[in-house]
Amino acid sequence: MNLDKLFKRAKEKGIQDLEIFASDRNSLSIDIFNGEVDKYEIADTNALTIKGIYNNKMGHFRTEVLDDSVIDEILDTIIASAKEIDSLDDAIIYEGDEHYEDLQDIYNEELFNLDVQKKINHLLALDKYLHEYDKRVSVVETMYSENTNAVILKNSKGINLSNKANSAYIGGNVIVKDGVDQRVGFDVVISNDFNDFDIETIGKEIIDDALASLGAKPVPSDNYEIVFSNGAIATLLSAFQGIFSADAVQKGLSLLKGKLGEVVGSELVSIVDDPFMKKSSRSRSFDDEGVATAYKELVGKGVLKTFLHNLVTAKKDGVKSTGNGFGGNVGAVNLKLEAGNSTLDEILASCQKGIYITNVQGAHAGVNAVSGDFSLQSSGYYIEDGKKVKPVALITVAGNFLEMLKDITMVANDLKMSYYGVTSPSIKVKSMTVSGS
Amino acid sequence: MLLEQKLIEQILDTALETGADFSEVYIEDHQSSVLQSVSGRLEKSNNTKSFGVGVRIAKKFQSVYGYTNSKNPEDLIKLAKDLSKSFNDESLTKRTPLMELEVGKKHHVKIKPSEVALQDKVKLLKTAYKHASEFDEVIKQVICYLVDDEKEVLIANSEGRFVTETRVKVRLMVSSVAADKGMMQTGSAGDGSGKGYEFLFEEMDIPAHAKEASKVAKTMLYADDCPSGVMPVVIHNAFGGVIFHEACGHSLEATSVAKNASVFCDKLGTKVASDIVNAIDDGTIENAWGSANFDDEGYPQQRRVLIENGILKSYMIDKINARRMKMEPTGSSRRQNYKFSPTSRMSNTFIDNGTSTIEEIIANTKYGLFAKKLGGGSVNPGNGDFNFSVMEGYMIRDGKIAEPVKGAALVGNGAEILHKIDMIANNLDRQRGMCGSASGSIPADVGQPTLRVKEITVGGRKKGA
Repeated sequence: MNLDKLFKRAKEKGIQDLEIFASDRNSLSIDIFNGEVDKYEIADTNALTIKGIYNNKMGHFRTEVLDDSVIDEILDTIIASAKEIDSLDDAIIYEGDEHYEDLQDIYNEELFNLDVQKKINHLLALDKYLHEYDKRVSVVETMYSENTNAVILKNSKGINLSNKANSAYIGGNVIVKDGVDQRVGFDVVISNDFNDFDIETIGKEIIDDALASLGAKPVPSDNYEIVFSNGAIATLLSAFQGIFSADAVQKGLSLLKGKLGEVVGSELVSIVDDPFMKKSSRSRSFDDEGVATAYKELVGKGVLKTFLHNLVTAKKDGVKSTGNGFGGNVGAVNLKLEAGNSTLDEILASCQKGIYITNVQGAHAGVNAVSGDFSLQSSGYYIEDGKKVKPVALITVAGNFLEMLKDITMVANDLKMSYYGVTSPSIKVKSMTVSGS
Repeated sequence: MLLEQKLIEQILDTALETGADFSEVYIEDHQSSVLQSVSGRLEKSNNTKSFGVGVRIAKKFQSVYGYTNSKNPEDLIKLAKDLSKSFNDESLTKRTPLMELEVGKKHHVKIKPSEVALQDKVKLLKTAYKHASEFDEVIKQVICYLVDDEKEVLIANSEGRFVTETRVKVRLMVSSVAADKGMMQTGSAGDGSGKGYEFLFEEMDIPAHAKEASKVAKTMLYADDCPSGVMPVVIHNAFGGVIFHEACGHSLEATSVAKNASVFCDKLGTKVASDIVNAIDDGTIENAWGSANFDDEGYPQQRRVLIENGILKSYMIDKINARRMKMEPTGSSRRQNYKFSPTSRMSNTFIDNGTSTIEEIIANTKYGLFAKKLGGGSVNPGNGDFNFSVMEGYMIRDGKIAEPVKGAALVGNGAEILHKIDMIANNLDRQRGMCGSASGSIPADVGQPTLRVKEITVGGRKKGA
């Protein structure tokens, strides 16, 4: 699309300010099933999100049709939308910041240029490793996925920014059987450096837990000390990350409303948003509104320090945007629960009667982000007097997110980034309600 | 025509040049709008327009897929060429000339979203807000959504299949937040259809749904924590069907069956449920949320009897997995949009009517949970373990519905729970859902009559009795 023409037509139609956010996304994904390439996908898509202010209200349009013939239709729809919007929110298009962080390592040309056959061969090697690992392995599926995302932000107030990042993940699914029981294992490793994809490390992460959990059964319903693995607690943090959004707070939809400066977790709890995290393809130097991103502590030693803001929520609260305006909403870039000093082994050894939870399911449905209540299907291991006694499955662990943060008694040093971008160490919670047999 | 037929034929031919035995082109022209009102004021009016082409090439079980949103003939031919490099075989498959199938007559739409003025859409949101917010003074926030979606698809393949279809979906949802004494709970309700705006203007009782959302929020606000433990659970009709969807439906999709990754593998013709269970996946129900004339491989949608009197009768099978399974496709292949390769998915899936009544079921339950409204859930098809959340629940005591309880989750195993259904009522109803899986998020109906599961693990915050 001829952007000069778009901006010119917008002005002619009486649109006060206009902003475009262009994204160009390239992806490759490969699945191997039982030693053969089962799926191979390549894709290239371009999209343009256009925002325009008319009558001091904002209209939106997202289009993947990029020829000049749709310019008038898009601008007319933006005007029609703006005319109907009666929200009291301000419509803001940003003039830009002085300084934007220079992120060097978020695009790795080497990864993009690496021969596809090498990527396939690596996946085949993982497939072979998993098949030969143990005779109880029955089904193996491995996958590699790679994305390159280039974005451009440009507006009538003079902003002209761009960002390019790439990342890949490699991982697998296994089903293991022992004649009586059947269990599944899954894990992925994310990086934009192919050297991080060590077959043995990934293979063990995928399969060890599945094998160890064969024969898992529910434990009796009771209260237990709970240890969440780094991956399991990341799932829960991800499901609750919306409570840090100032938009949710202002709409009365966050349980953190009115709690700025108050203690919301144990002093072992520090939660940050790190938009400059290395090797994360989510890392950004500016948000979708053109505001410079910044490292920030949301919770510091248990105290709630700030909410996440975009331009509109910041203006309402009389503060500066934190650079967290993404996709028309407010969100963290790379949410991270800071590591502690304990090792996972020390934590497990500290449990008298506990459950080490390595997997939680159904977080999209089993959590109530407004009340903080959750009840999640979980699996892991029963721990007695500091020792793993037996695998556990089909239990639910129920609690309230804020009460849980306050009851965290140990934090491990084993930081891990989950595939949806939340980084966390393993943690121990004093006591939670478990429902089982 | 979304693309010239000659160009489509060129793409299909190019794709076969290196020895693949199947090629397919999927073209999609799509527009949608999402309106969101907060406290009765229109806050978002987001419009989307997209166009894309997906090309799939296969040889035996192996398939490759690529997509682009370019209309440029050179880009499209290049895409087919790039994808075809995955194959290398001397023996070539010849393409069958395209034969357009008659456009399906079902699922007629009277008022397309593109024909409705924005202010008329906004009026619907204002009506919903009014009734939800005026329900009770504990209702502190009401968020309403109006979503419409209009899509034109064209599917053509090297076997001569050639279909086009226009698909329309509309949906209105209300989410109410009740707050009192520092406590907060949400309730939601809404409805949608494969019809056009005539559904929202004429058929849907918007005030009733709006009040329902607020009623659930208020009820749950004052509800006690649900006790945990193993107990009988009566699951109410309509959205209660999500239990079958999650616990069994996903495990009957060829995506998991073909790869020997489902607990229902090799179980056709065997007893998988108690005798009173009949389960159906029907993509032909007129204007239903999960219906279409054709699936996303261009096969006519079908009515599939999955389970009859407890016996497993059919899986849901797409073309490539059909080859692996040495069975016929069942018209079950679906995808969110051109960015996804299609695979076997559910359409409108439900457990059929039984012979009991809801009154009999409650009266026959001494102690248990009445799960009136379920939220979402998920399942691991590898071993059938599932979970789902209860949005509105009540205890059953001495054959009567007693106090409301909140925060309950149901967990169990799909293969086991089907055998534990011991009473089914005669009040079958379906409800709208969005189902996320391998080929993206798609509209799918779930449904069932009120039924009882003899015993199931209920997870709550209160230690069980």
